[in-house]
Amino acid sequence: MANLSGWNGMRWLCGLALTACVFVAGCGQASAPTAATSSVAKPEEKPVYFKVDAATAGTVTGRIVYTGAAPVRKTVDMDEDPQCAKLHKNGKVYDDTIAVGKKGAVANAFVYIKKGLEGKKFEPPKEPVVMDQHGCWFEPRVLGMQAGQELKAVNSDPVTHNIHPKAKVNREWNQNQPEGAEAAVRKFSLPEVMIRVKCNIHAWMKAWVGVVDNPYFAVTGADGSFEMKNVPPGVYTIEAWQEELGTQEQEVTLAASGKAAAVFTFKGK
Amino acid sequence: MINGVLSMGPKRFLVLVPLSLLVVSCGEKAKVGELPATAPAKPVGATVEITVPLGLPPVPIPADNPPTADTIALGRRLYYDTQLSADNTVACANCHSPAMAFTDGRPVSVGVGGKTGTRNAPTVLNAAYNSLQFWDGRAKSLEDQAGGPIQNPVEMNQSHDVMVAKIGKLADYQAAFDKAFGQGPITVDKVEKAIASFERTVLSGNSPFDKYQYGGDKKAMSAAAIRGLAVFKDKAKGNCATCHTIEEKYALFSDGKFHNIGEGLDAKGELKDQGRYGETKAEEDRGAFRTPTLRNIAKTAPYMHDGSVKTLKDVVDFYVGGGTSNPHLDKEIKELKLSKTERQDLVAFLEALTGDMPANSGPLGQ
Repeated sequence: MANLSGWNGMRWLCGLALTACVFVAGCGQASAPTAATSSVAKPEEKPVYFKVDAATAGTVTGRIVYTGAAPVRKTVDMDEDPQCAKLHKNGKVYDDTIAVGKKGAVANAFVYIKKGLEGKKFEPPKEPVVMDQHGCWFEPRVLGMQAGQELKAVNSDPVTHNIHPKAKVNREWNQNQPEGAEAAVRKFSLPEVMIRVKCNIHAWMKAWVGVVDNPYFAVTGADGSFEMKNVPPGVYTIEAWQEELGTQEQEVTLAASGKAAAVFTFKGK
Repeated sequence: MINGVLSMGPKRFLVLVPLSLLVVSCGEKAKVGELPATAPAKPVGATVEITVPLGLPPVPIPADNPPTADTIALGRRLYYDTQLSADNTVACANCHSPAMAFTDGRPVSVGVGGKTGTRNAPTVLNAAYNSLQFWDGRAKSLEDQAGGPIQNPVEMNQSHDVMVAKIGKLADYQAAFDKAFGQGPITVDKVEKAIASFERTVLSGNSPFDKYQYGGDKKAMSAAAIRGLAVFKDKAKGNCATCHTIEEKYALFSDGKFHNIGEGLDAKGELKDQGRYGETKAEEDRGAFRTPTLRNIAKTAPYMHDGSVKTLKDVVDFYVGGGTSNPHLDKEIKELKLSKTERQDLVAFLEALTGDMPANSGPLGQ
């Protein structure tokens, strides 16, 4: 309702409350409606964030290795949505639930510091992480982010997607995004490893988001390796997660300005 | 008809007494010219019966505005007259054009000076059956609705007084009003009643679905559309007919109610438009919009209250996905498990809802 001026506005107001109308308009005591009592804003306590001392920080590296014959890659059937199938030239898309490369390298494993940073609070990055829906596929399949950081979900496809992180610790949500829709920008405020992400419209679309309360996490690349930089010296439990292979933990000790390595080996059948 | 000013129609005369009290008691300058000059207008001619195409129920007619040949003809002329707008560029038909099944094909409409609203122009076809008008139901009748866009700053942006004065200067309009309502000044009331009577004739039925469902022609719909109708009605499948209703003898494809279907939320998942809540201030109405008819849906893209959904496939996918989560989401909205064929069949069914366009509904003389 855009305009309640003049006679029409009067007419409307009067239809609602005749007496009030006479009083307000008639005796010139019209006043703006009392502003809703606004709660006094509490001065927000600024959290004290831990500052990493670059002079003593070190690096944790490692690899995720699969032993045994590499699983045969399956193709994905996108026939359910012909518009999706058309986005792929040869019509073939490989399922990357588990991708094993040369020398047993496992890609898309999520690695993070699980224990050893208690009491330290890290500021979430200002830049969002991006999850793209492209070719009726989530890119990347595995994404790491810090609690409180923004997740930007983009739809680059000419079809409608409905991204749905099935969060259990954080609030679950889903967002419909037709072609050209603005990106969804959401936060997960609590650590949660892992959140399964699906598209409500395309059953084959799957992704995973690892939310941790520190900046030390990584997703392995095609060579199965990972690297975490700027880690304060200490003793840490590192967890590696892969959607098919499950999880493994290792303890590493990082000396001041030192390097530590962890190789996680998953036995194949 | 996006954000039109609410017009109280029949209630307006209630205010005559308090307003005059006001004038006397406090000595403010009375704007006498703005007072309604006459009693409610009533058509003077013989009432005509509006024939209804296959698949539609009888048209509801308000007691104070029975349609006559003269009011319908006058309403038709006004509907296409751009002089109702401030700069003489925008008629009702700009946003509700017969060339586009009485919509404008845009996500949101363009008013005078290129201004845009925030909601998609609903079709006028079969609007006569809506118990409440506008996406948020803020008008109780076609008469109430008709005056809204004329004054809306982003639509026709013309005060009713100026509009009445403008068309009153045209001699042939005065004659047409006199013929329709008896001698007397042109009033907004008469303009609204004439437009509403014309709109009551803007009906569309006799679609392939109507022939199949109500006309006994089992070949009128394709096999895909027939399967789609079953998915549409099945509560465990499409669950569409729960709100887009189909009755035994007719189908309006609307329950006339307001629902939050999880559409039109921003990046953070907040409602961009509060919808029905703006009228009722009831929490359950947050983000709820009137269930639109689905008749002629294949011709009225883009879809939803904000026009953000481009194709019927996208509409079906929207419902398959269960919309966007929000605290006020209607309980009937949830993820649907539909196969490729079922999704395609639903689109085929929606395409079978295209009916005949009404005769005598274009600009006069055409």
